[in-house]
Amino acid sequence: MSDAHQISVLLAQADVQRRLGNRGGGIDLLRRALSLDPDHPRAHAALADHLLDARRLPAAGIEVRIALGLDGNDPYILQVAAAVLIAERKLDDAWAHCRIAMQGLAAPPDAFVLGALARQLLGDAAGARELVHEALARDAAHTGALTRLAWLEFDAGLYEAAARAAQAALEADPIDRDAHIIAGYIDLARGDTAAAEQHARFVLRHDASDTGSGLTLWTAVQARRSFVLGAWWRFNVWLTRGELGRRIGRLMALYLLARVAMIVTDELGLERVSITIAVAWIALCAYTWIAPRVFQGMLKRSLPPVSLDPDF
Amino acid sequence: MTYQIADQPHDSALREYTVAPSAPLFAYMLCGAWLAWPWFAFNAFAMGSPTRRKELAVVAAGFVGTAVLAAIVIALVDRGLLPEGAPIRLAVLAVTAYKVVVSYYLHQLQSTTFEIYRYYGGPVRRSRFIVLAGYLLRGAVLGLVDSDLWVIVVSGAL
Repeated sequence: MSDAHQISVLLAQADVQRRLGNRGGGIDLLRRALSLDPDHPRAHAALADHLLDARRLPAAGIEVRIALGLDGNDPYILQVAAAVLIAERKLDDAWAHCRIAMQGLAAPPDAFVLGALARQLLGDAAGARELVHEALARDAAHTGALTRLAWLEFDAGLYEAAARAAQAALEADPIDRDAHIIAGYIDLARGDTAAAEQHARFVLRHDASDTGSGLTLWTAVQARRSFVLGAWWRFNVWLTRGELGRRIGRLMALYLLARVAMIVTDELGLERVSITIAVAWIALCAYTWIAPRVFQGMLKRSLPPVSLDPDF
Repeated sequence: MTYQIADQPHDSALREYTVAPSAPLFAYMLCGAWLAWPWFAFNAFAMGSPTRRKELAVVAAGFVGTAVLAAIVIALVDRGLLPEGAPIRLAVLAVTAYKVVVSYYLHQLQSTTFEIYRYYGGPVRRSRFIVLAGYLLRGAVLGLVDSDLWVIVVSGAL
């Protein structure tokens, strides 16, 4: 078998592994492909796509920039580059890549869906809608476009319209994980926790990795049901969202607030207040230490047993 | 040879000594920077972290930065520019905050590589005895040099 053929097979296998939720397996196959030809642009782009899915953003950024350097005109590479740039929150650059990928009559609907995501994140919901409808004009049953439309309606608070779009996406592809995810969040927003749980259960059954959004949806469902789980979940989301600098800033703000309050109250002779703040701070530290363990234990107990497909 | 991804740990002869990044972070809180920061640097090399040079640089910046900040605070106190009480305590708090940022940044930096390291089956050593030993040795280390600068530089967050 020639190297080129072998690489094509490995790329196809990696895609299958990804669809099965085995991101690590897909990444390993793409590493093998790049060992055969380190200058294969599509293999670099596919690796970037997989790494992005595995939330290894810095490495995904490097891979897609190599791919762009090798072939900056391939629509697939441009799409992956746009997806990576969106994740890097370089939205204007992402939009520029989407615009190139959307040029021409043969432009794939996926490029329009990504463009819609970029416009949506740039705060242009109307522009995003236009692009979604453009994608749907090219393929009326495009799951990605219908899912994006559902997200747009969901973000606008139009839950019924969002549910219709999500339903259409699920009819187009009943096993599409993204469609199940948005359907789950719509159910959750409408207060139907049981239905949301069914969607999360479906996604988890089809995505064995622990980085999937299925786990996030499942946790959101469980957080609605348990105060302990919910409290930790909300605190953790608040503390860990955003870039590393922001996370450190938030943590330091908490730390400095407590320490400065302790020092100032102590100097003012308000010893009891100072001690109360110190105890509250220690309690918060203990909570942030114990809660993740309780949280994980509860989550493990509540998770459905995962059964792997025979060809996983 | 298999293709190496940028964030993937390299092979290391010291990998048997790799610990979870939470161990040095705990060591910072319970024992002090004298144990935690060199441990972070060692751990980066042990797990073959692709950012090990950056981690080493952050450790060096941590020690140098703390020493400079502490020297400024001490000089201000010696010249009577920083009054007793809250001003001194707040100035020392600023130095401690800098050290907490360095420690947390190192922890976050190393955690990303550690997850990938574990995915590829890298061994992880238990560390509770090292932290316990560090805690017991803490007093001796702080008293090693009779200098406020030394105490501020090598102490921890508690």
